[in-house]
Amino acid sequence: MSGLVLRDVEVRAGGRAIVADASLAAPKGRVTGLLGPNGAGKSTLLAATLGLRRRAQGSVHFDGLDLAAMPAAERARLAAYVEQSAATSERLTVRDVVALGRIPYQSVWQSGPGAGDEAIVASALAALGVTGFGDRLYQTLSGGEQQRVQIARALAQEPTLLLLDEPTSHLDIEAQLTTLDLLRERAQAGCTIILAMHDLNLAARHCDHLAVMKDGRVVAEGAPAAVLSAPLLLDVYGVHATIVQLPGHGAPLVVYDRARGSGAGPDSG
Amino acid sequence: MRRLAALPLLLGLVVLPAEAATTYPLTLQNCGFAVTFDKAPQRVVTIKSTATELLLSLGLRDRIVGVGFQDGPLPADLAAAGAGLKVLSEKAPSQEVVLETEPDFVYGGWESNFAGDAAGERPSLKQLGVASYVSPPACRSIRPPKLTFDAVFAEIGEMGAIFDVAPAAAALVAKQKAMLAAVRRDARGLTAVWYSSGTKAPYVGAGSGAPAMIMEALGLRNVFAGVDDGWTSANWEAVVDANPDVIVLVDAAWNSAEQKRKLLAANPITGKLDAVVNQRYLVIPFPASEAGVRNVPAAVDMARQLGALQIPAK
Amino acid sequence: MRRRPASFLASAGLVVLLLASATLAVTFGPADISAGDAWMTVLHHLRLADTAPLSPLRDAIVWELRLPRILAAAGVGAGLALAGTVMQVLTRNPLADPYLLGLSSGAALGAVGFLLAGMALLMPLGAFLGSLAALVLALAIARLLGGATPTRAILAGISIAALASAATSLLIFWSATGDSYREILSWLMGSLSGTTWGDTGLVALALVVCAPVILLSGRGLDAFAFGDAAAASLGIDIVRLRWTLLTATALLTGVMVAIGGAIGFVGLVVPHAVRLAVGSRHRVLLPASMLVGAVFMLWTDTAARSLFDPRELPVGIVTALVGAPAFLLILLRYRRIT
Repeated sequence: MSGLVLRDVEVRAGGRAIVADASLAAPKGRVTGLLGPNGAGKSTLLAATLGLRRRAQGSVHFDGLDLAAMPAAERARLAAYVEQSAATSERLTVRDVVALGRIPYQSVWQSGPGAGDEAIVASALAALGVTGFGDRLYQTLSGGEQQRVQIARALAQEPTLLLLDEPTSHLDIEAQLTTLDLLRERAQAGCTIILAMHDLNLAARHCDHLAVMKDGRVVAEGAPAAVLSAPLLLDVYGVHATIVQLPGHGAPLVVYDRARGSGAGPDSG
Repeated sequence: MRRLAALPLLLGLVVLPAEAATTYPLTLQNCGFAVTFDKAPQRVVTIKSTATELLLSLGLRDRIVGVGFQDGPLPADLAAAGAGLKVLSEKAPSQEVVLETEPDFVYGGWESNFAGDAAGERPSLKQLGVASYVSPPACRSIRPPKLTFDAVFAEIGEMGAIFDVAPAAAALVAKQKAMLAAVRRDARGLTAVWYSSGTKAPYVGAGSGAPAMIMEALGLRNVFAGVDDGWTSANWEAVVDANPDVIVLVDAAWNSAEQKRKLLAANPITGKLDAVVNQRYLVIPFPASEAGVRNVPAAVDMARQLGALQIPAK
Repeated sequence: MRRRPASFLASAGLVVLLLASATLAVTFGPADISAGDAWMTVLHHLRLADTAPLSPLRDAIVWELRLPRILAAAGVGAGLALAGTVMQVLTRNPLADPYLLGLSSGAALGAVGFLLAGMALLMPLGAFLGSLAALVLALAIARLLGGATPTRAILAGISIAALASAATSLLIFWSATGDSYREILSWLMGSLSGTTWGDTGLVALALVVCAPVILLSGRGLDAFAFGDAAAASLGIDIVRLRWTLLTATALLTGVMVAIGGAIGFVGLVVPHAVRLAVGSRHRVLLPASMLVGAVFMLWTDTAARSLFDPRELPVGIVTALVGAPAFLLILLRYRRIT
């Protein structure tokens, strides 16, 4: 089966399982949203997919290839990863940071980026709209700008599998929408994208496929309209909400009412 | 006589005509500290060979209750007198060990012998009724002037006054003066380096201490006379550049003259020095290389060694 | 593309500066030897000139005293700067220096131990063995703590360093005679006195063996900029890279410390100064650090052996006198930028 397939993945730490029996199938060339509250294990699952965290059990296949068995360099040419936050004390310019994405393609003997590398870096910068920052020190950028640079770096890796952990958390609305649209374009060009997200509405709108985690397990998976339901939201997120389908908008809309256990919401009673 | 009298004044020593009996209480200024003796000390701890040897030379063996930090065996003429002296410590003894002997006087060859972790600070000893004395040429807190034999003799004289054995002190001084006068200064205008220790960088005798004093008495031109210090860490390059005619080797138990000879010969640079190639060495035992009663006999011996060296005229 | 010519020119410029420095430094020293005679002597020994203009002794001053020391100083400076740069990235700690994992304290213990045991000439061997022992112990402790991560390695290194320093102090206090205090102090401060061609050969060997391994890790070190996970996601085998670099750095530092003693500030300050000028791309930073470190040590050692004629200062004092204010300036510069 093509796309990213996880079967019964388990990750242990400190004697207990943080992720257990996690299985999901992210379709190829589509954007899959990975949802769940804090501590559900989203980041861990993403890291384990790429072998950045050790899997106690389970398998990960992409396009039929066993990601764990692959040499690290080959895997880096196939898949890219964007962490939640990336800070550094090194004195690197934005261009330098994006150029890091070309490392999997450079040999040890190479003394610097080649002409082809520079072109790819330039186009990644342009795609994220950060060309103007090219020569600025990465450290001087705001959180949102740094996030975009990290995504540009991931794009410079020319991945066919892209895993992003909360890539839009620091961005303003316009930037969020622009970035998500960009990712949609990449997916259409053939890249399989997994996004860990908090914002359910953005996820519903911009993802073709959703997987919801709770307590280290994947408890629901499927199209947004199928997955998002009031009972699910109550169970997983602990909130009362109503799912609305507005005419003209393909994706469902989540309208939050109140948290479980609190008193009546603003509109009730 | 007047010159001799003036020098002790400069060093802050008490002026007494030779051979007079001491009147107590005797107060002196020693290395910036006032010391008072109510009577001649009866129980003395000496630290460093120079202190022990000076007292033994004055026939005061019976007063010594303990010795510490000796730098080597006693010279032949004092060996019998010094046999059986109680050794308190190989290095500087701690205050408790010193006080255990119930001394009334501690005579230190180095000022650092009176540190808190050694025999004890001088004020603290004074409070306990123990007088203390630092050999004046070794005083560091007050810089002593350039060392001369007169200063060495003055210390002998001062010890004579402290112990009320002025006649013995005067006799010793007279004997040493005579020995010194008999030393013929070498007239060949030879240059010399006083090599005390050090492998990577040599530690040499400089212009103001016992090495300089002895080399001048021998008629040797000290290569490092221009440095105003007792000893200095120098540069092999400066030694090689000077290419001294003679090298003085300090023979210490932990770093012998033989070891120094081997080192100099084996080193590709110093191995080429005239003095090394032709084995033009003068040897002096370590305890004699600091200011004390052995300087004069050492100078006599070195003059003899020097006279035996054949050195072509330049 | 526009940056390449600039960094190439800078590297070439640094190499030229290094050669010019060495050529000039050979004319400095307490002995009164003219520059022309000094150069002729070197050329003569290299069989590029027929006549030896100086007497055998003065010839030896230039060829056996000055030249090996100048070359060793350059090599030690290059090695320490390179090691410092790598340690700063590996431990993600800008205050790291080559001695971080207890290397210099272990070396001091080994050197002092050998000296006091009467093997003064074998002090370099003692230093090397001591530094390796400290490294092995530090890493073993880190493993015991649950895995050798950078933080654990640093903590283990600090504890080993403290232990070794205490042992060294005890040894000195217990056994040192008056003379050896001086040699010990000089070693502890860092000194290139009495460097022979054999010492220079060892420094060169260490550089030839260890530097290429480190220099080829440039892209791996770049990948570390955002931490282990990011580096791994870029395809770097971080465990293997870390161990390779740590071993190479420790060997390199061990030899440098064995020859020159615990010379401070070079491994800490030079990488920062060079980073301010060329940034953190390691393929440029590593060679530049080496060259700047070499020139720096060359001149500080020349000052140490010539300025206070006929006395000589341990070179570690000069590097500290220059390095400490330089470090302050660098910190001020960083403060404005970050």
